Amino acid sequence: MSSIALPRSEPAAPVKPPRKGLSTWQTWGAILIAPYVLVFLVFVLYPVSYGLWLARHPASYQTLFEDPVFFRTVVNTVVFLLVAVNLKMALALFLSGFFVHERRWIRWLSVIFIIPWAVPAIPTIFSIRFMLNPEWGIVNSLIFRLTQQDGPNWLTDPSLALAMAMAVHIWKALPFWTLILMAARLAIPRELYEAAGVDGASGWQKFKFVTWPSLRTLYLTSTLLSMIWTLGDFNSVYLLTGGGPADLTHVLATLGIRYIRLDQVDQAMATIVVALPFVLPLVYFMMKRLSVDEQAR
Amino acid sequence: MNKLAREARLWLVGIPVLLWTLLPIYHIFLFSISSKDSAFSGALWPDKPTLRNFGTVFREEHFYLHHFWEQIWNSLWIAVAVGVLTLAVATCAAFAISRLKVRGGRMVMNAALFTYFIPAAFLAVPMYKAMGSYGLLNNRWSLVLAMVTLASPYAIWVLKQASDRLPWELDEAARIDGATPLQLFRLVYLPLMTPSLVAIGTYALLLAWNEYLYAFLLLSHEETIPLSVGLAHFLASDDSPWEVLMATALVYGLPPAAIYYAFRRYMVGGLTSGAVKS
Amino acid sequence: MASVSFSGIEKSFGRTRVLHGISLDIADGEFTVLVGPSGCGKSTLLRMLAGLEDISGGTIAIDGRVVNDLESKDRDVAMVFQSYALYPHMTVRDNMGFSLRLRNEGAGIIGARVAQAAKILDLEPYLARYPRELSGGQRQRVAMGRAIVRDPKVFLFDEPLSNLDAKLRVAMRAEIKALHQRLKTTTVYVTHDQVEAMTMADRIAVMNEGRIEQLGEPLQLYDRPANLFVAQFIGSPAMNVFDGVFRGGAVEALGARWPCSARAAEGQALKYGIRPEHLKIAASGIPAQVVVVEPMGAETEFVVSIGGARLTLLAGGRSAAKPGETLFVAPQAADAHLFDAASGTRV
Repeated sequence: MSSIALPRSEPAAPVKPPRKGLSTWQTWGAILIAPYVLVFLVFVLYPVSYGLWLARHPASYQTLFEDPVFFRTVVNTVVFLLVAVNLKMALALFLSGFFVHERRWIRWLSVIFIIPWAVPAIPTIFSIRFMLNPEWGIVNSLIFRLTQQDGPNWLTDPSLALAMAMAVHIWKALPFWTLILMAARLAIPRELYEAAGVDGASGWQKFKFVTWPSLRTLYLTSTLLSMIWTLGDFNSVYLLTGGGPADLTHVLATLGIRYIRLDQVDQAMATIVVALPFVLPLVYFMMKRLSVDEQAR
Repeated sequence: MNKLAREARLWLVGIPVLLWTLLPIYHIFLFSISSKDSAFSGALWPDKPTLRNFGTVFREEHFYLHHFWEQIWNSLWIAVAVGVLTLAVATCAAFAISRLKVRGGRMVMNAALFTYFIPAAFLAVPMYKAMGSYGLLNNRWSLVLAMVTLASPYAIWVLKQASDRLPWELDEAARIDGATPLQLFRLVYLPLMTPSLVAIGTYALLLAWNEYLYAFLLLSHEETIPLSVGLAHFLASDDSPWEVLMATALVYGLPPAAIYYAFRRYMVGGLTSGAVKS
Repeated sequence: MASVSFSGIEKSFGRTRVLHGISLDIADGEFTVLVGPSGCGKSTLLRMLAGLEDISGGTIAIDGRVVNDLESKDRDVAMVFQSYALYPHMTVRDNMGFSLRLRNEGAGIIGARVAQAAKILDLEPYLARYPRELSGGQRQRVAMGRAIVRDPKVFLFDEPLSNLDAKLRVAMRAEIKALHQRLKTTTVYVTHDQVEAMTMADRIAVMNEGRIEQLGEPLQLYDRPANLFVAQFIGSPAMNVFDGVFRGGAVEALGARWPCSARAAEGQALKYGIRPEHLKIAASGIPAQVVVVEPMGAETEFVVSIGGARLTLLAGGRSAAKPGETLFVAPQAADAHLFDAASGTRV
């Protein structure tokens, strides 16, 4: 052993052989993961099962399909998804390229740019709602001052109202996706751009041959995820138009809540179940892409 | 392309982005310092800016504001509870899955991912019914637990990604040094995860503070509702004092903006790490 | 007092067998090096001793006591990792004292032991610094300090010098060796670098594909390698090996007759091995055409062509020979190594 006189500590306690089977480490693993498992069972598994059970009556679906609001809602939802999501992602792609430029003012701008995402929906969406008021909102006041003509009825024309809801959604969600794509852009090694530059590539070519191949998968995955989440965007429509005028701007997310307020819980659940055939494949696809591989430790 | 033209192109993008981003925010501010007439005149700047609206809010002088202080306290209480609980639950789960390699960790991670992807609005109705059966409606805890359920999956995902990046040798060295699982958690894991923990705690806190749908479904009494729901009540009548509403909204919206600004360095890195998978 | 004993150790990862019946006895105080190419199983064997990998078969004993079922922390071993594995959020002092803190030792004892170790390793000026502020060599010393403070029965080193630059490696080799002479703790050292093995070990175990090819003192392995693998692995520059046939008391190879002292069967296909320094340049002998001359100052290394094959020759001092010239080499029979062409074992 040691030939140096190190100050002696108390002899270690006699060693106990470990119990067969579960080691301390596995036991603690189970204990530490238990809280979340509990949360999941009590607040996800049970509610979802209960909800599906509530949606079991075929009669709910019949009433649902016969409600004229429903058809309109589906159309609105599809339009919302196709237009808002793709527009938003395209903007995110474009702006992510803008925000990676190294300038002091751009860095400040990127901090300000996050505000719509960070602040709560109620103040901001109400603010937009008032801005768009046809009589006294500042948008129409500005239009009148500039053109001596009345601005359009932003929130009382159903199509315009839906378009405005989409604009609100984009306003709020764009920063998050821009950040994601920015992080991905920053992960691309600078040397690739330098090599392309030396090879004579223009800005557009650099995007096509260096940036896009690296971003492509993330862009697609983000678009899919965004579609799932936009399907559930309750605030943008509800706080802006309340689903009106005359229930003409509802989307599936707000329709469910409308039925709850009318005390038609079964139908509320049916509305959600109807959306599932679209949502679940997307969720499954997302999980395949991102889920944990036991082997890849 | 010469330097000036390149800068001009950047400004051409930057200025619209600035206007687009700040206009609704500015509008809140504008209304909150305007008197009633000036607000409804559509002016871009009030001729007589006033702080009177804030006085109305803080002295609870309007019908819809009678429980303002109680509601803002509810928002705060709920937000902090959600932040703390989410951190606790997610940190332990991420440690178990990532460092302890617990059996079934993969299944739990996938269950969490599933919850993360499902739109929260879809879970709202079932959650409402379930809380009803648990007898928790109109209890602040129902909102806290619901928000913890919604925030945990993303939290676990991000913490697991961050944790996976810590060298495995640290755990081995600690084990050889004689560490028990709890000592490893307390003395090695937590200190090294601090930036991610700050990001996730802030994320959960902001999520709860900003929440509207779940709050309005699960809580209805004037005393239990958080400020987000209280604000929405203003819309109930047609001649509400919008300028007072906007003043309240400003008060409500300032803390998240401030917190986000204070912790921004942790937030961006911490939250996007889960997304960019190599 | 701590001997280490591996008996019939087997290890499989899933279906893949990585260790086949390893048996090895290490005496108390001995410095044993496990050396071999990547994937030979040396690190796995070390980690099994540390308790970081499960044992699929066989037993490991420390001090005569079987430790198969003991947790790492109960085996009283300390390990120095290739990547140092220092806790980034703790100072050097805290890193070194961590194991004692885990056992709730008194602050006085922790302080004294850390100070002792810091003195031995010249770390006293760095005790308050963080790992990120230190150089590679300093970090490696902190890792060793952490191990010394434990005062364990066995020191385990897992390729500790691989991350250091060449010059630092040479300096650290000497330090580790000096440390061992001072502390006399049983040490098991894993490396892929045969120079480290040769310079530091009391005994070397050369491993390949999960088996021990040869176990012995460094010079024993150098002078009498048991098979082709050990012969070509140990020694730098590597031994020259070429095909030949045993006929009439010598080996016919590369168009010449090569002397040897071993006896093989007449007409047996062999591999003839001779170290570069044993290809002595003489006035007459086997002709070798110079291809490349590498003057290294104290020695000169040649690449020569004999019978179409490229061989390495190491001569002391300077040489005037130029590429294209013909030298003569006269190897001694005692310096020849014969290996069976099929099995690779020494003849």
